[in-house]
Amino acid sequence: MIAIQTEDVDIGNLIKAAKKHGTGAVVVFDGIVRDDDITEMELEAYEDVATKELEKIAGDATERFNLLHVDIIHRIGRLSVGENILIIIVSAGHREEAYRGSRYIIEAIKAGVPIWKKELTKNGGRWVPGDHGHGSGEPR
Amino acid sequence: MNVKVRFFARFRELLGTELIIEVAEQTTLPDLVKQITQKNIEGHQAIFDEYGHFREYVIVMRNARRVDLADAGENIVADGDDIAVFPPVAGG
Repeated sequence: MIAIQTEDVDIGNLIKAAKKHGTGAVVVFDGIVRDDDITEMELEAYEDVATKELEKIAGDATERFNLLHVDIIHRIGRLSVGENILIIIVSAGHREEAYRGSRYIIEAIKAGVPIWKKELTKNGGRWVPGDHGHGSGEPR
Repeated sequence: MNVKVRFFARFRELLGTELIIEVAEQTTLPDLVKQITQKNIEGHQAIFDEYGHFREYVIVMRNARRVDLADAGENIVADGDDIAVFPPVAGG
């Protein structure tokens, strides 16, 4: 399942579905809205492009790390502290491949998928700069 | 001819979500975006530097493909193009 959506997901059900024939390890990454003195977080995406890029990242990770199953669910909209932002579930024959595949996917998402986060505070809001390679001086 | 221009994140807040812009033949990508930002100083300064070039962190996509900003001035838009302009991504 590759999706950009407002709704949360049932991680337990996704783990069950990730256990394919030959699975020896399932790794779950759950990115959560951290309490950085914010009230909420607002996320937006260039959805058509972002979904295609997530599909490509999942395909690349599957090929590179012999993954048996990949789920990537990135949530958008307004989220409260403690809510899930991004769920990545991978299964593989062995833990090494599962860990490396999961890490590859999260780093690739942070590097280039067109999704943005705004931290909402009592005094307004601030856009999260992100881990980008486009130099400094980004407007806030 | 008409071109669709979309902005995201901070650029969206400054310039709007999606606009259909009527442009002349031979309009380049920077000139297309300047046509929108010319009446919005804050939006213009967020996207362009003092020389009128796209700032280094700006990302432009044309029909879902990333544009090399070094060549943006030679990139002539076509009728029906879908252009997206956005700041660095921050998903995950």
